[in-house]
Amino acid sequence: MGKLSRSDILEAFFWLLIAVIFFAVSFSFNQPIEIYKFGATGWPRVILFLMALVALGNFYHAYSKGSKAQEGRVGAKENDEPIEYTSTGQYFKTGMVLLLPLLYALSLKPVGFYSGTPIFIALIMIAWGERRVRFILTNTILIYAILIGLFMLVLNAPLPQGNISPFYDLSAFMLKTKTQLDQMF
Amino acid sequence: MIENFLAGTATLFGDPFTIGIFVFGVLGGMLFGAIPGVSMLTLAAILLPFTADLSPAQGVMLFAVIYCTGTYGGAITAILFNIPGAPENAPTAFDGYPMTQKGMAGKAVGAAVLCSAIGGVASALVMMSATEPLAKWAIMNIGPPEIFALVFFGLAVASSVGGRTIWKGWLSVLLGLLIATIGQDPVGGINRFNFGYSDLAAGIAFVPAILGFFAVSEIFIQAEKNESGKYSAPKFNVDFPSFFELWAHKIAVVRSIFVGFFCGILPGIGATLAAFMGYGEAVRWSKNKAEFGTGKLEGVISSETANNAATGAAMIPLLALGLPGGALTAMMVAVFQMHDLEPGPLVFYNSPELIWIVFAAMFYANLSILFVGLIETKTILYLLKIPFQFLAPMILMLASIGAYISRGLVLDVIVMFIAGIIGFLLRRSGYSIPGIVLGLILGKIGEQNFAQGMQMVHYDLGTYFSRPICTILIVAGVLTLLKSLYSAFFQKPKVT
Repeated sequence: MGKLSRSDILEAFFWLLIAVIFFAVSFSFNQPIEIYKFGATGWPRVILFLMALVALGNFYHAYSKGSKAQEGRVGAKENDEPIEYTSTGQYFKTGMVLLLPLLYALSLKPVGFYSGTPIFIALIMIAWGERRVRFILTNTILIYAILIGLFMLVLNAPLPQGNISPFYDLSAFMLKTKTQLDQMF
Repeated sequence: MIENFLAGTATLFGDPFTIGIFVFGVLGGMLFGAIPGVSMLTLAAILLPFTADLSPAQGVMLFAVIYCTGTYGGAITAILFNIPGAPENAPTAFDGYPMTQKGMAGKAVGAAVLCSAIGGVASALVMMSATEPLAKWAIMNIGPPEIFALVFFGLAVASSVGGRTIWKGWLSVLLGLLIATIGQDPVGGINRFNFGYSDLAAGIAFVPAILGFFAVSEIFIQAEKNESGKYSAPKFNVDFPSFFELWAHKIAVVRSIFVGFFCGILPGIGATLAAFMGYGEAVRWSKNKAEFGTGKLEGVISSETANNAATGAAMIPLLALGLPGGALTAMMVAVFQMHDLEPGPLVFYNSPELIWIVFAAMFYANLSILFVGLIETKTILYLLKIPFQFLAPMILMLASIGAYISRGLVLDVIVMFIAGIIGFLLRRSGYSIPGIVLGLILGKIGEQNFAQGMQMVHYDLGTYFSRPICTILIVAGVLTLLKSLYSAFFQKPKVT
């Protein structure tokens, strides 16, 4: 196995999988363009071919030299070196940190910004290890108030309102209140 | 030139709102540059969607100012905590942090302030005199084949900078190029890789992608480190180096200005290589090489002069040819595009006022480092005490709103967080985020110009080599790739 680690094998698999999937999908738009000889697939297929080739080179490099940084590399941030995970709890925590924002984004359409945001802010603090209830509550309210004040009241930015009840109703109530405030001042 | 500069100055300081943006850029760049984990790129990425409400001149000027002051800001944490705010400040930590340990932090910060200002101002002056003639020359001599060749060269260089190995640098750039192919192809308008989502027909928008790869992935990285990454601010006194101390390093300053400017002007290189080369040259020419890394003032001076000297130079390919040299200048392209403008030689004719506001702002931003730098450094020491648990959700929320309001699509927020997750995983594995973003931005420009160029030369690649600029750039790009390939096969891994 040379100096290969499990992550090196996963990386090679990841890049080759991307190349194969995208190459397969490229047949769905493989139409000729009258004024351009290489068509719509020429450029992306060259990129995919190079990606597969470089992925194999990366794999060979890891096999023969390991995954340590090459000497003289410029701009490779040393503090991006991975942190070693020693327990499944750490994997779970990182997984939560990565997935929570994505779940928040997916919930924006049905739940909306106004209802989903305070829950997300509190949850993300908990996921990052914060356990002080007062700290979580105070900061959630503070961040939410800053965002509402800045984007809703000052900048009048259109934010997702949600499309299911009761979330949509809450958004409608907040926007109605804002309109009333505008009329008052 | 002086008349234009004065006109730019008058426009910049003639409008209170524009002054406000300038001051915000100066302070914001320094602040975000100095806080580890949220670099100037994070600030720029968050601000990107909001520049749609500014005039093009104000938007580009804001980014140019952040570029100048953010490049300096990262030096503060590099010196005080051994945590470079950005990669271009990494060599500053080599001698800056040992100086802090010796109780000479004030002198190191003072040198960083002075030399950043000197390097930046010198670079801004050269930029002002060189960009317009270069743009005029470009109109006559640069066509699609040359732009494609320049993109090729830029990507070849970009792949060799950043990333733990050359292979990872290349894969990063190729991923960016692949993402750029999503959406309609530039010639026939055929939908590519949209996986059935009609919203993807316009391609992956720059704003959510940039926010995801830079701001969100950075937050994820910091969140991972959060448990162990607590630091306390050391005490230090403000202490400028004396005139004689600085005069003793005059050659190092001048050399670093040249090195920084040369690196900055090449697309794909930017301030990071400038700082490393500036430092490297200081070591190479020194009689006391062994003293470097132990707290030598010349190390801080060389690195900080060179990285700020690269900022003005990096604007030359952007404004004269429309090609970004680094991540932040790539975001400036996005600012131009949000206002239906294309950076390049024609901007000098269509929007000269924009160019000269930007030039004047960069000049004054570098000058302001001198006056605001030390005061802000003290403030930053207090701000560094803000708990990350507060800062991080705030940044994530600002990024979410920024991604959403640029097109009003929830899909963009989803794309941003997916880009954040991919960016986090790739960074952990030693890939280059600036490489991905440069690939994404230059990919579209490259494909379009390649297609136009091929149609122009009737698919005869040999014609490319009958054009001297094209030949030089392609040969330079191929040589860069071959050199990287050589080092990939024959260079030993770093011993850590």
